[in-house]
Amino acid sequence: MTNVERGALIPPLERRIEVADMVAYAGATWDWHRMHYDMAYIESAGFTAPIVDGQMLGALMAECVQDWLGPDARLTTLGFRFLTPVEAGSVVRCDGVVESVETAKIQCSLTVHILGSNGVVVGTAASGHAEAKIP
Amino acid sequence: MSSSLLTDKLRARIGETRIYVAPEPIGKAAFRYFAQAVGDHNPLYTDDQFARDHGYLGVIAPPTLVCETNQYANLSRQSTGYAGHAWELEIPGTRLLRGGNEYTFHQPVHSEDVLTVTWSIVDMTERTSSKGVPMVIVTSQALYENQTGELLVTNIETLIYQSRGGAS
Repeated sequence: MTNVERGALIPPLERRIEVADMVAYAGATWDWHRMHYDMAYIESAGFTAPIVDGQMLGALMAECVQDWLGPDARLTTLGFRFLTPVEAGSVVRCDGVVESVETAKIQCSLTVHILGSNGVVVGTAASGHAEAKIP
Repeated sequence: MSSSLLTDKLRARIGETRIYVAPEPIGKAAFRYFAQAVGDHNPLYTDDQFARDHGYLGVIAPPTLVCETNQYANLSRQSTGYAGHAWELEIPGTRLLRGGNEYTFHQPVHSEDVLTVTWSIVDMTERTSSKGVPMVIVTSQALYENQTGELLVTNIETLIYQSRGGAS
């Protein structure tokens, strides 16, 4: 990681998020909000499909940066803003750009895109930034 | 011009604090369950020897788990299914949206850590969106400490109470 420069691209991480993934995440976080699986509740709230817990996208951002930097790097900050709700069954892709590199510290910006059926970006689910200590 | 969403009664809640102490250590199973749920196969979260080889005492929590789990709160499920910390702010004519989070990871979280989580309301402001929709922005802070009082993570959370009535 010593040769990383500002503007370098972080390898993208892509994932389809199905209802089963959302149910697993709900269990793993002790968060059983009906928005993520209960269609009667979801329709009463004005949506037509279960909505992905936004924090699943935060987990994806953390994974994207940690996988890229390797196990000797340590994530020190992660921030994100939600821009568009993601419906169950969507494919999302996290990518990022290095914003700065200092001694033992790297900062990057991150985006989670929503992909259409042909793999083309159709929306932005979340934008964020992260900082990590690097060896 | 409509009346203000941010009443004096609401404003008086700035500074309110709530403390939760987890009933048990967070545990390795919570790390493995979360990692499996999100599809993150990094052995730092599941393999003690691998984690030790990279400078940790043993497996560590996936970074966002601590801020996301309601395990520590030990609360009953509400009618919405939600069972985590909530301020129960009542702002008539609004709907609640999640704005985002800012996490600072001060130290890695290990399976033996017993969390004490201190939530506080740090600010409330009223704004109008670019489309002219009034909203109240509520900023909360959660501090996650372990059983020896070490600060592990800080979480700044933004909630948006947006007027259902549209532009004012």
